[in-house]
Amino acid sequence: MPKSIIRGYYEDLEQKKVIGKKCNQCGKITFPPTAICEHCGSREIETFELTGEGELLFVSHSMAPPPNPRFNKLAPYAYGHVKLKEGVFVQGIVTGVGIDPASLEEWYHKCPVKVVPDIIDAEGLSILAFKIIESQ
Amino acid sequence: MKNKLKEPVYILGVGCTRFGNLLETPEIKGLTLQEMAAEAVKEALDDSGTDPSEIDAIFVGNVTMHTSTLPATYSQIAKWTGMQFKAGVHFDGACSTTNIGITLGAMGIASGVYRKVLVVGLESTLSQPKKLSPFDRETIPTEEMWLWTDYCVNQAYSVPQGYDIFPSYNGIIAQAYCKKYGISIEEFEKGMFELCRTRRLHGSMNKRAINQETLEDEAKRFGFDDPYAFWKSNYNPFLAWPSRLRSAVSAADGASAIVISSEDGIQDAPNLPIEVKGWGVTISDLPWYEEDPTYMHYDTLSFDKAYDMSGITAADIDYLHVHDCSHISSICTAELSGYLPKGEGLKYAEAGRLRFDGDRPMSTHGGRHAFGHAWAASAGADTYEAVKQMRGICGERQIPNVPKISVVHTHGYAMVSTVMVYGRR
Ligand SMILES: [Zn+2]
Repeated sequence: MPKSIIRGYYEDLEQKKVIGKKCNQCGKITFPPTAICEHCGSREIETFELTGEGELLFVSHSMAPPPNPRFNKLAPYAYGHVKLKEGVFVQGIVTGVGIDPASLEEWYHKCPVKVVPDIIDAEGLSILAFKIIESQ
Repeated sequence: MKNKLKEPVYILGVGCTRFGNLLETPEIKGLTLQEMAAEAVKEALDDSGTDPSEIDAIFVGNVTMHTSTLPATYSQIAKWTGMQFKAGVHFDGACSTTNIGITLGAMGIASGVYRKVLVVGLESTLSQPKKLSPFDRETIPTEEMWLWTDYCVNQAYSVPQGYDIFPSYNGIIAQAYCKKYGISIEEFEKGMFELCRTRRLHGSMNKRAINQETLEDEAKRFGFDDPYAFWKSNYNPFLAWPSRLRSAVSAADGASAIVISSEDGIQDAPNLPIEVKGWGVTISDLPWYEEDPTYMHYDTLSFDKAYDMSGITAADIDYLHVHDCSHISSICTAELSGYLPKGEGLKYAEAGRLRFDGDRPMSTHGGRHAFGHAWAASAGADTYEAVKQMRGICGERQIPNVPKISVVHTHGYAMVSTVMVYGRR
């Protein structure tokens, strides 16, 4: 039976694992995972675990009510642009950040700051969010 | 890629309804999507002096099937537009749809298969059929419209993990722009205010715009003598900090149509044909940017392809429209295109240089904020404005030096970056 890559990604997140693919041809990472190396088109790809850690470059906020009812309880939320340690860029919910202008302006000046994965539940789906670890 | 047209292709005529709300706006109130499309097609056929019998193929675009309930749109509108028994297809390039249609039609013509092609885009973003009625419609909540529109965005990973257009396409880009160019948040606010003022001025001079009220008049209506105080008030909330409501798209209903032709079809044209000199099309999935959110690589590729195919450089552009459902993203794109110097876009807006009568006119129809945005119809509306400007018939918003070269860029969600180069003979 074929295994869905998308299903696998979310099941791995549930196990607190952040999984992508790494290419044997060009060495680059495809994250989140697809059926092919997104950089060179090679099928020679292997499962690759990412740390999920990185730097938050910018953080703004979402709208409310949210388009996707999955986020009815969470919106409005802070949403940021993250560069993972492995060099991959990803956007996601940033937990623990207020969305009032004063708070966002403060983070605007502080960024980039370190983040770690904060895998949260969104109506039964484990999703990759981030939380800031402040290095005071 | 050869990136060449074997034969020249021309826009012979254009049509566009007023952009507005099918439930409210006088010029389109009570119409169905079939009727709105028919109206845009009639105008384009009349404008081009073309009889429906001369059209060989029709390319029809519609994005949000949930609001149109018209898949197989070619059949649905065939009898409304005189296109029965033509070649036809329904296609979707999201907010680039109509201009993608021009590229498809132009390839059909330049290859020698077709002589004249009709491109149509129709969309409702504000309502849906009421209880499956063939004519009654009901308003849809904004979040529902975005849910359906976001079906265009990465459904495997981005949307289920909290993707939202306003931070991704607006707030984060705005912050990156300010940091990159050392612009304070206060300076950014002022620049965005001035940019909105320009777009709204253009909308106020366009009878087909969804919003024809200047920002100053709107401020007065809310009791503000100082429009900038209104700008910073709670009436203009942050959509995604530091970007505010009036720096973003106004969703609309509307239809547009374009007749394109080979050279041997333009001899008896009643109005000036405009040459489709070239284009560039590039697709991308998220992320739309990496280290620098002000830079979208696929736009560079599209502008390079379009400049190469048409044999122009940025210095040749007399009129530019770039996708502006986020005003700060439109500034980044205009700078990337070479039309504005890097980091200067907001200063140009403040100095009035982006106005119809400035030295770098942009989005003279009002853009996505003032003209409105009806997904599949919008790129055709942008082309409509470029054609009318190049014919010199835009009335009070006419660019004084009638443009010889116009470039129209659109971001089809999410993304098909499309750059069209039009030339006046
Ligand atoms: Zn590879």
